[in-house]
Amino acid sequence: MSAGTPPIAGPPKPQAKALNCPKCGAAIVLRSFGQAETVVCASCHCILDAKDPNLAILQQFEIKTSDIRPLILLGTRGKLRGTDYEVIGFQRRSIQADGITYSWHEYVLFNPYKGIRYLSEYNGHWNDISICKMLPMSEGTSANYLGEIYKHFQTCDASTDFVLGEFPWQVRVGEKAAVTDYVHPPRVLSSEKLDKEVTWSIGEYMYGREIWEAFKLHGAPPEAMGVYENQPSPVTTNVAGMWVAFAAFAMLLLALMAGFDVRAKKEPVLQQTFYYNRADAKGEASFVTNVFELGGGTSTVEVNTSAAVGNHWIYLNYALINQDTGQAWDFGREVSYYFGHDSDGFWSEGKRFDTVVIPSVPSGHYYLRIEPEADPSLPSMAYSVGVVRDVPVFGIYGIAFLALLVPVVMISFRAYTFERSRWSESDHPPMQLSSSSGDDE
Amino acid sequence: MFRKSYLLYGFLVLGTTAFGQYRGWSLDTINQLKNVPKSVRDNPGSYRSVYSGYHHYTGGK
Repeated sequence: MSAGTPPIAGPPKPQAKALNCPKCGAAIVLRSFGQAETVVCASCHCILDAKDPNLAILQQFEIKTSDIRPLILLGTRGKLRGTDYEVIGFQRRSIQADGITYSWHEYVLFNPYKGIRYLSEYNGHWNDISICKMLPMSEGTSANYLGEIYKHFQTCDASTDFVLGEFPWQVRVGEKAAVTDYVHPPRVLSSEKLDKEVTWSIGEYMYGREIWEAFKLHGAPPEAMGVYENQPSPVTTNVAGMWVAFAAFAMLLLALMAGFDVRAKKEPVLQQTFYYNRADAKGEASFVTNVFELGGGTSTVEVNTSAAVGNHWIYLNYALINQDTGQAWDFGREVSYYFGHDSDGFWSEGKRFDTVVIPSVPSGHYYLRIEPEADPSLPSMAYSVGVVRDVPVFGIYGIAFLALLVPVVMISFRAYTFERSRWSESDHPPMQLSSSSGDDE
Repeated sequence: MFRKSYLLYGFLVLGTTAFGQYRGWSLDTINQLKNVPKSVRDNPGSYRSVYSGYHHYTGGK
């Protein structure tokens, strides 16, 4: 090292360079240490050549609307993903689709050691964007970047409407670029073609509150409206995996049902036929059966009733009474069957048999108290009563099946509607809506 | 996260189903009474059913 060589200095401290606009004389602040290609005068809206020591005027534009205000002011500093950045530029861009103008905002962020990155905001949806370090491979309706496949979302011509601050390229208002977006939520891969130059960038979705926290902004971020192209789905779980889990549970449920069905004793403990006679019923109609034993612990008890009714009914007031403890299960069952012919043909309703399952009946000695009632037009009727111990209740499996199915259906539906909203804004909507072409002819 | 919750929930559903089957649960509504007098066996008319006086459907299209 020669004696005249200055000592190696450490990294320069961030300092803004102050200049004046050659058009209006307003102060121009350069924050990006020579990385800016153009700088915009906030006073007279002249786009100046930042590389020129005299700040040559490249373009002057008029503000078309007065509501263009950056949500993050130029010069604001914040820590984004662990790195300090300063907002040095802001632009509004827009596209036209079906005669409607859609506008979004882009912020240029600068760090003297990390360089430039960008934030974009559309209807409260934010993206942290940086230039791709490798060239993505696009083919048909997909693109591959670092081994990740991105689906084509849309291609459009974006124009620059408004600029403010510094830009690391030769920005111009009115400039149009062909923009193609490919998505793989929460990332979006974008190519911008301007003349013959193509720039690829990669963006990652951010929530407004994250931006507000990063830049310590006052108030609340604008509420996100609708579903954005790379917005992560609120259904973070793997829906296909949920269906696999459901299928596994359904199989287990089936196995459980088969197991309990095989294990169930289905032991008949009473089978008797009785006669209902209206003449006898004028006195005391109720009677009791013989005592029967229910063994083998607490279980279900099925009471079956069958009667050869035809356009009649028979109703039985039952009480299953434990002879030893005095505990009783009281229930009423009707057997009725109606049929006939009308203009629609044969019809019928009701059944000639009935089944009821009494839950959790302890073992012991039991009898049935039966009090029959019948259709007044029915003089007499034979009916059979059967009691079977320990029968499986299949309805419980139906409820369990539904309990397993409902959450998966709800999650799937939520995921489906979210993706449907996302892709309805793309070049590949889930359903093409037909437009009427005038029926005045 | 949700998948884990669902797995837990699924096993809970299966466990409840198995327990219900083991304990003899039923979907039918049955009215339970206690301390029915033993005299009912000899005098069935002394017992008053909860369901007596039921309005019977007479059917027909």
